[in-house]
Amino acid sequence: MDLAGLTEDLHALRDEAIAAARAAASTGDLEQLEVDLLGKKGRLTVVLRGIGSLPAEDRPRVGAIANEVQTAMRSALADAASSLRSRELADRLAAEAVDVTTPGRSIRRGTYHPIVETADRITRIFEQFGFVVYEGPEVEDDLTNFRMLNIPQDHPARDLWDTLYVDVENHLLRTHTSPGQIRVMQSTRPPIRALLPGRCFRYEAVDASHASEFFQVEGLMVDEGTTLADLKGLLDQFAQAMYGRGQRTRFRPGYYPFTEPSVAFDVECLVCGGSGCPACSRTGWMTILGAGMVHPVVLQYGGIDPERYQGFAFGMGVERIANLRHAVTDLRLYMENDLRFLEQFR
Amino acid sequence: MRVPLSWLRDYVDVELTPEQLAERLTLLGMEVQKIERWGADWKDVVVGELLAVERHPHADRLFLTRVTVGAGEPLDIVCGATNIAPGQRVPVALPGAVLPGGRRIERTEKMGVTSNGMLCSGDELRLTADADEILILSDTAPLGAELISLYGDIVLDVDVKPNRGDALSLVGLAREVAAATGAQIRWPETDPVEGGDDIEQRLAVTVEAPDLCPRFVARRLSGVRVGASPDLVQMRLLAAGMRPVSNVVDASNYVMLELGKPIHTFDAAAIAAGTDGRATIVVRRARQDEPLETLDHVRRTLDRETLVIADPERALGIAGIMGGADSEVSETTTDVVVESAIFDPVAIRRTGQRYALRSEASLRFEKGHEVRLARIGADRCARLVAEWAGGDVARGRVDSDSVEPAPSTVTFRPDRVNRLLGTSLSVDEQRALLARVGLESEAAEPDDRVTVALEPQPVVVEPAPGTAITALVPTWRRDIVIEADVAEEVARVRGYDVVPSVLPHTPMPGWRPSPLEVRDAVREMLIGAGLSEVITFALVSPRLHDAFGLRAPVPSVGGEPPPGGDRIEVTNPLSRDHSILRQGLLGSLADVVGTNRRQGRADVAIFEVGKGYGREGDRTREWWRLGVALTGAAEPAAWNRAGRPWDVDDAKGLLELLCRRLGFGEPAYAAERDEPVLHPGRSLRASATGDGGAPTLEAVVGELHPDVVGAWELRAERVVVAEVAVAGLGGGQLTAVRASPPSRHPAVERDLAVVVADDQPAASVVDVIRASGGDLLHSATLFDIYRGAPLADDEKSLAHRLVFAADRTLTEAEIDAAIEGITAAVATELGGRLRA
Ligand SMILES: [Zn+2]
Repeated sequence: MDLAGLTEDLHALRDEAIAAARAAASTGDLEQLEVDLLGKKGRLTVVLRGIGSLPAEDRPRVGAIANEVQTAMRSALADAASSLRSRELADRLAAEAVDVTTPGRSIRRGTYHPIVETADRITRIFEQFGFVVYEGPEVEDDLTNFRMLNIPQDHPARDLWDTLYVDVENHLLRTHTSPGQIRVMQSTRPPIRALLPGRCFRYEAVDASHASEFFQVEGLMVDEGTTLADLKGLLDQFAQAMYGRGQRTRFRPGYYPFTEPSVAFDVECLVCGGSGCPACSRTGWMTILGAGMVHPVVLQYGGIDPERYQGFAFGMGVERIANLRHAVTDLRLYMENDLRFLEQFR
Repeated sequence: MRVPLSWLRDYVDVELTPEQLAERLTLLGMEVQKIERWGADWKDVVVGELLAVERHPHADRLFLTRVTVGAGEPLDIVCGATNIAPGQRVPVALPGAVLPGGRRIERTEKMGVTSNGMLCSGDELRLTADADEILILSDTAPLGAELISLYGDIVLDVDVKPNRGDALSLVGLAREVAAATGAQIRWPETDPVEGGDDIEQRLAVTVEAPDLCPRFVARRLSGVRVGASPDLVQMRLLAAGMRPVSNVVDASNYVMLELGKPIHTFDAAAIAAGTDGRATIVVRRARQDEPLETLDHVRRTLDRETLVIADPERALGIAGIMGGADSEVSETTTDVVVESAIFDPVAIRRTGQRYALRSEASLRFEKGHEVRLARIGADRCARLVAEWAGGDVARGRVDSDSVEPAPSTVTFRPDRVNRLLGTSLSVDEQRALLARVGLESEAAEPDDRVTVALEPQPVVVEPAPGTAITALVPTWRRDIVIEADVAEEVARVRGYDVVPSVLPHTPMPGWRPSPLEVRDAVREMLIGAGLSEVITFALVSPRLHDAFGLRAPVPSVGGEPPPGGDRIEVTNPLSRDHSILRQGLLGSLADVVGTNRRQGRADVAIFEVGKGYGREGDRTREWWRLGVALTGAAEPAAWNRAGRPWDVDDAKGLLELLCRRLGFGEPAYAAERDEPVLHPGRSLRASATGDGGAPTLEAVVGELHPDVVGAWELRAERVVVAEVAVAGLGGGQLTAVRASPPSRHPAVERDLAVVVADDQPAASVVDVIRASGGDLLHSATLFDIYRGAPLADDEKSLAHRLVFAADRTLTEAEIDAAIEGITAAVATELGGRLRA
C-alpha cells in the first residue's frame, strides 16, 4: 500500500460514510453505523492498519488525513442524528395528539350555605372595625332574653316577640341575639366592641317572609364617648361593604325597649334605586336593620354605669341581608336545602 | 292603626299629599305601612237624582225609578229598597260599573222591565253598614259626579309602636302631624249639653278594687232612640276598620278611635239597684267560677284574677275586655250608662291572654292611659250619643277618683343629649324641638335632678349648675321619663338626618380569639373536599328524635358540655314536626338526603355544623357537632373515568383529612355493631387525640341501617353518615405547627406482607407493626389486602409499606433487625406470619 492508495481509501471511506449517514432511517441505524465506521474494530481502524506499511516520512501526512476524514465522518453522523431526532420527535408528537376540546376531569367542590356565608361576611366586615365575636346560648333564660333588655313581663312590647317556650323552668328559645349584649357586658369591661351571630327562634307560622328559626347578627359597642353618630358612620361603612360604594342610607325612628333612642337603618332601595317599586313599598327605601343607643336599664343589668358609659347596639336578620344580596324572595328556600338551590352559591 | 285622612282633618290641617304626609309621619317614628285609596274599587258610580218612583208592574216588592245623572236621557232603574222618594240624590251604578269585591253591574231585565244600572246601598259601596236601604246622599252632591270624588278617602295604615299608646288615636296622630308641620290642633268639643236629673240620684259606683281600677267615670243618658248612626259616622268607622253597630255603640267606638280611650255603654235598665234604690255599679274581682255570658254570646266561668264590672247581683262584663250580653245596648234600650275607666294595664293584658280575648279596646288598655282621659272620654261619648240618638244627658258624672295629677317634669342636660346623638344642637334648638311635641321647658331649678335610669337601680345625678333644662311633659306622653327619652324626642322631631356619620374614635378593645376559627377551618376543608353545607332546623319531630337517637352519644371533646341528658321540649310548638330540640344531627341530615333523593337527585354529599341541646333538671346545655351524610357517587362516572359510590372509607378519609388539618393524631377505628340506626357490619367509632394525649375528635361513622333508609323513604341504596365531636368546634383556636427540618439522609422502604386470620382487624395488625418496629420505623401503611391461594380459606395477607428513617444513613443490618422484631411480634401477638 502506498500513500496515494491509502489516501484514496480514506477519502472513499469518508464519502461512503457521509452518504450512509444521510441515508440512515433511524437513530438506531445511525448508532450502528458509527460503531461500524469508528468503533474499535471499525472500518477506519481497519484502513489505518495499512499505515504500518508506509515509509516513516509519510506517516504524519496520513495521520493528518485520517484526522480530517474522522472529523468529517463524525460531523456527518452528528448532523444526521440531529435531523433524525427532530423528525422522530415530530412523529411522536403527531402520534400523541389528543382531542383537547373534551371537558376537563371534574374536581368536585361543595358550596357554603348562603346564610352562614352571609353571616361570615357580616362578621368579617365588623371584625375589620375591631369587633370581636361572642356567642351565647340558644336556650336562654327569660330574664336575660326579656327582663334585662327592659322588656318586663306583661309589657305590651312583648307582642313584638312571639316566643317559643320550653319545658325548662324560666327558659325559652331566644327570640333574638340581643341577650348576648347582657352576657358580653357582664363578662368584660368597656371599651366593648362585640359581635354576636347566631340562631334565633320565634313562634311564627312559616311562609315566604316568616321563619320560625332564623339567624341574626347583633353588634354592641360601649365606651365613654360612643355616640349615635358613630353608629351611623359604622353602618354606612357596612352598607357600602355589603351593597357597594355610594350606597345611600338613612336613619329613621324605630322602637326597641332595649335602646333609647331607637332607629331603623334604611338603604336606598336595591331594586329601584330609590324611585319607588313594590319591593320597597314605593318608599324608595329598604330597612336592613334596627339599632339604637343601649338603654340605661340594659347597661345597668350588664354591670355598666349608665352615667359614665354609653353605647350602641344593632341587630340584623341574616336572611334579610342575604335576600337582598342574592335576589332571594322566599325564606323557606334556606332551610329546605334543595341542592339545586344551594349549589348556585359558591 | 287605620287613619282616614278626611277624619284626621277634623283635628289638624294637612296641606301635604298623602305620600308626603306618609313620609313625614314615617320619619317621625309613626311608620306608614300602607296608603289605601278608599273607594278606589268603585267604577262608574255617580250621583243621580230620583225623578220618579213607581210600583213595578209585575212585582210587589220592586219599584221602577227614573233617575237623572245630569247629562243624557234619564235612566229607568229597578230597585227593591223602600226608603226612596223623588227628589233624593242617590248613588247610581251605571251599566258597566264595578262595586267593591269586583261585582259588575250590567243592564238587566227584572220581571219584564229593563233596569239600566243599580241604585246602591251603603253596604254595597262598603260605605255604611246599611244593606237594606239606598244610601241617600246630600242634596248638594253634584249630579253626575263620580262618587269617589265625594266619598272616596285616603286611609293611612300607621304602625304605632307599643310605647306610644297615646298615638293610637286620631287626635294623637294629629298631634304628630302638627309636630311635623307646625299646624295647630283642633280639639273636638267634649262637653255634653246636660239636662234632666242629677246623675247621683240615678246611679252609684263602688270601686272595690282601686288597685286594678284607679278611676271609673260614668255618664248617664235617658230617652235615647237606638238606631243607625249618621252615614258620615258609619263611613268613618268602616274606613277605620270598625263595623257600625248602632248609634250608641258607634259613639263609644268613635271616641275610642278619636281619643284612644275605650268606652263601654250599658243598657241602664239592666243594672240592678242597690239598697238605696239607685242603680249600682260595683267594680270588683270576680268570684271563683262566677258565670258571665259575654257579648260574643259565649258563656264563661270567671276566675278571681278577673276584674268585672258588676251590679249588686251579678257580673255585667269583664273590665276592659268585653261587656256582657245581658246589659248590652239594644234596640229597646232607652237609658244608657257610659263607662270610661282607667284599668291596670298588666291586669288587662293578663286577663285578655287568659281568656284569649283581645280587642281594639283591650290593646289600648294594655298600653295604659293618662288619668284625665277617663273624664274626657265619658263627656265626649255622652255628647255624641245625645247628638246621634237623642235623649237627655244627666247632670254631672259619677267619678270614683276625680283627682287628676299635674304633668310630670323631666330634667335633662342638652350636652348629654348631644353626647348621645353625636350632634351639636344648641340649647335653644333642643327646647324649640321639644316644644313642637308639647314639652315646654325652662332652665332647671337648683334642686332639679337628672334621671339617667330608673331600673334596676335609680341613677339620679345632680347636673352642673346652669347646664340643665327642665321640661314639662304633657300628661299623655307617659313614655318620656328619663334623659335618654328626651334625646330620642329631640332627634325624632328634628329628623335623624341631623346625626352625622363619623367613624368611632374611641379606644379599641383588646384582642380576643374568634369562636369561629376551628368551625370555619372545618367548613372550608369539607367544602374543598366536595361536600355542600346545609342548615337544618334545631327543632325536630319526636319521631325523628327517637329514630335517630344514638344509644351511646358521641362524647364531647375539648371541654365542651357532655351530650345527652333529657331532651328539651317546646311547650307551645307550632307543630309536632318542630317540637323537640335535637340532640344530634343524623336525623336532620338524613331528612335532607331524602328531600334531595325524592327530587331525583342522585348524588348528595352534605355536612352541617350545628348544636345538640339537652338538660339536666333545670340546667340546660348545648354542644357543637359536625354531621356528614354521603350517598350516590363519590366520583361520578364521566367519559374518561368510571364512577365510584361513596362508602365508609370516604367518611374515614374525611376524618383523617380533618385530623391532619387540625393537627390531631391519626384517628383510631373500632367496629360499632350496636347502634340500631346503623348497619351493624359497616359502622365504627373513631377517636383521635392531640399533642398531650387529650381526646380531640370522637365520631360515630357508618352506613344507615337499611330499615332506616326504608322507613324514612330516603330512596338511596346506601347512605353513609357521621356525627363528629371536634375539639374547638364550639370555640377554639387552630394550634401552631412545630416544624422540623427534613432529614438529609435517605429513608429506606421495605414492603412487608403479614398473614393473619381473616377476622383480624387491619387496625390491630398495623398497631402491632408500629409498636414493635422500633425507633427507626417512621411509618407503616397498609397498601394491599389479599385472600386466596396459596393462603388458607380463613387467612388474609395484609401488605404494608414500611419506611425507616433516622438522622443518619441506615444499615441493612439495622433494618433486618427491626423486621425481625416485627415478625416476632406478629407471631406472638397475632398468631401471624410473614408471607413468603
Ligand atoms: Zn324600590
